[in-house]
Amino acid sequence: MLSIETFLHVGLAHYIFLSGILFSFGMIAVLMRKNVIVMLMGVELMLNAVNLSFIAFSKESGNLNGHIMVFFVMTIAAAEAGVGLALAVAIYKKFHEVNIRFFEHLRG
Amino acid sequence: MWEAIAFYSLAFFLVFFAFKTITVPNPIHAALYLVLTMIGLGAAFFNLGAQFIAGVQMIVYAGAVMVLFVMVLMLFDLKAELRSFSKGLFSGGLKVMSAALLAGLAIGAANSSVAILDTQDAAKPTMDVTRQLGILLYTKYLYAFEALGILLLAVAVGVVAVSRIKGGTHAQH
Amino acid sequence: MNHALLIMTLLLAPLLGFLFNGFRFSSKDAYLAGTVATGAAAISFFCSLLLWKDLLALPVESRVIATHFFDWINVGALNVRFGFVVDQISAIMILVVTGVGSLIHLFSVGYMAHDERPTKYFAYLNLFLFNMLILVLGDNLVITFVGWEGVGLCSYLLVGFWFTDSQKASAGMKAFVTNRIGDAGFLIGMFTLFFAFGTLNYADLAAIIPKVPETAWLGTITIATLCLFLGATGKSAQIPLYVWLPDAMAGPTPVSALIHAATMVTAGVYLFVRMSNVLVMAPHTMEVIAWVGASTAFVAATIGVTQWDIKKILAYSTVSQLGYMFLAVGVGAFTAAQFHLMTHAFFKALMFLGSGSVIHAMHEEQDVRHMGGLKKYLPITHITFVCGWLAIIGMPPFAGFFSKDEILFQAFASPYGNKGLWALGVVTAGLTAFYMTRLMCLTFWGKSRFGHDKHPHESPPTMAIPLIILGVFSVIGGWVGIPHVIGGGVGIPNILEGWLEPVTAQLKETEVSGLLEWGLMGFSVAVAAISALIAYSFYILSPETPKSIAAALGGFYDAVCNKYYVDEFYQGWIINPLVEGSKALWLYIDVNFIDKATYLAGDLVSGAASFVKTVQNGKTQSYALYMALGVVVVMTIVLL
Repeated sequence: MLSIETFLHVGLAHYIFLSGILFSFGMIAVLMRKNVIVMLMGVELMLNAVNLSFIAFSKESGNLNGHIMVFFVMTIAAAEAGVGLALAVAIYKKFHEVNIRFFEHLRG
Repeated sequence: MWEAIAFYSLAFFLVFFAFKTITVPNPIHAALYLVLTMIGLGAAFFNLGAQFIAGVQMIVYAGAVMVLFVMVLMLFDLKAELRSFSKGLFSGGLKVMSAALLAGLAIGAANSSVAILDTQDAAKPTMDVTRQLGILLYTKYLYAFEALGILLLAVAVGVVAVSRIKGGTHAQH
Repeated sequence: MNHALLIMTLLLAPLLGFLFNGFRFSSKDAYLAGTVATGAAAISFFCSLLLWKDLLALPVESRVIATHFFDWINVGALNVRFGFVVDQISAIMILVVTGVGSLIHLFSVGYMAHDERPTKYFAYLNLFLFNMLILVLGDNLVITFVGWEGVGLCSYLLVGFWFTDSQKASAGMKAFVTNRIGDAGFLIGMFTLFFAFGTLNYADLAAIIPKVPETAWLGTITIATLCLFLGATGKSAQIPLYVWLPDAMAGPTPVSALIHAATMVTAGVYLFVRMSNVLVMAPHTMEVIAWVGASTAFVAATIGVTQWDIKKILAYSTVSQLGYMFLAVGVGAFTAAQFHLMTHAFFKALMFLGSGSVIHAMHEEQDVRHMGGLKKYLPITHITFVCGWLAIIGMPPFAGFFSKDEILFQAFASPYGNKGLWALGVVTAGLTAFYMTRLMCLTFWGKSRFGHDKHPHESPPTMAIPLIILGVFSVIGGWVGIPHVIGGGVGIPNILEGWLEPVTAQLKETEVSGLLEWGLMGFSVAVAAISALIAYSFYILSPETPKSIAAALGGFYDAVCNKYYVDEFYQGWIINPLVEGSKALWLYIDVNFIDKATYLAGDLVSGAASFVKTVQNGKTQSYALYMALGVVVVMTIVLL
């Protein structure tokens, strides 16, 4: 039932759809890019997409649970980004490379 | 109607910038595109009536996290990367497909579960969102809020400790 | 005294002696070990005397002391109790075993005083005594089999006692393996009896067994008893499994005396005397037993004539006398078999110990061609050996006369007897007299043929006393079984016959006139005397005559001297094909098939593992992809 109505009347589903697309972009970045920093950026993108869907749901349901959730996710994501970047710095200092194709030490 | 226009243009920009983020070879460019994505997301939050969250998004994400990213990138001496994408058409296609499938499933699940959203604690429309959020944070979720503070302290210390290993960030000759 | 306690002491004394000496097996103190071992044997003998006294006190109809310690095997229909029974037969056996055993233990103290491992020797001797007592006291076939196996093991341990010499060690192995072949027969006999009658208890079998003798060769009882007889040929060295006994002379001489003369090899005879009620119901088996016994006696006697090793002569003599015992069993003369068992224990153990004394005096020389004229150097040994000699050749009034003569008479006159068997027995008696006299001539009489470096001296008292005691018994031991024909007139009863009558199967005796009996007796004595005289003349008066006879017989003499090449025949036609066959089986089935299959299984797993290993390529992004796919699959299943 893809009528013009569904396109014109922007509701929850649209935002969910957008969030899904952004999430998949983030996931592709994690799976396909070789630079560690770009992978971390993909993780950030995924987290942000999820934040968007939280806010959309919160608007739909009328209460503020989604906002609270986003608050916490944002904080923790920021902390995690910090830690990840610190690790990337440490790796760079050690190996002078941040391309993960050089880091296959766990190969069986 | 204006709403729809606003949404669609915002969505278009978001998707475009996100796509550019993940496809440009140069990581600095990718970071900058990600900043734009963050700003766009802040606008989306504003659209959805979450003003406080929009502000926090701009300040924390676009203002702090991305700056951190760019700073770290500047530390490294990265030339334009050869083979910035993983090789292999098949594995690449597989990855894209799996991401798409996952997203599709998630969207479908979300849409079909709209009906079971609990609408209890319906917001009192008298107060504005920020105030309500503040009240919630400091009463109902106080414990978690304070724990967040401690977490951030630990992370701050940890980050400094991890990045202090011996070795320079100058490029090898 | 409490009978269970007596029987337990009887059995446990040698076991404790074994444990005591066993834990100290590396000690070189022969006197302590010997004292403990002889003490244990003496305690058993004392208990046997007490049990015999108690048995005498019981009335004739219920002359049995039975005790059982615990229920042992309780599986389905098989109920075996760990029980022991002392009745007339086992009383004789335990008295003989412990009595002769104690004397031999005493002898060993002197004989093994300078050995390298005396404590181990005494431990093994006590273990043997323990197992032999279990064998003769058991009240069912399974307990007997436990003892049977145990004495086989001890025989191996003791024959191969000086194991550093590979020949002696392989003699021990030969004894054990040949025994085991017999044991397979024993087991099959046990299985058949159990399958047919549901019990393995001697008393129950005697009650259940059908009272009509079987006429078919494939009847159950016939098959069972034939299989049991196969076991007996292994243990008691009859044809075809006698080949181990001459080789078993590699062990110390007291061992030969105890195991291969007096006790272990008589286990087969004991088994059939115990199962006499079952045996008489299978007349075909009895026929087989009689002929096998008689032929073994004859063949062994012919080989004994040609041997030069003093112990080998006595070994073949043992095989021959065991043949007599089986002849007696086969013609239904169970009392005579038991009688000969008893007297043979006395005089054969005596002669083995005497030969041990000779070997000890001649400093381990065993070849009779290097002996001679030892009469004046070893007086006690000589006198006792003469007693044994006269006993074995059957001179009245020595022990062997009564028992051997009883056997020959029964072979002639019993309903199962046969003139041919009697004739074979008489010829063998003549040969026995011949080679035993030959032994005496070459060892004790005549001129000395040993060098002047050897100074033979008489044995110490620990070795002399057992000889004297056994010598006395060789003289008087036969007087418990004086046949009616002799004793009836002067009022002396046949004590042994009266003693054993309640427990052995009694056959309808054919009536034989007293004159015939006297005639037969006189005939066999005459044959023995004439053979002895011939031997004396050959070996003392004209030593060249035997050599020329041997040369004249040429190839035949060589064949007899080489034991009819039986060992070589077994080696070539049975052992080697088995070994080659086993090697081929090993190569074609084990190495080629089973090993390859196992390696294949291993390789399959290994190959599959290396294939699966490629999943772990160390790339984080691959792992992330797998996770994503996993989540997709799970979500699909959950949502759809």
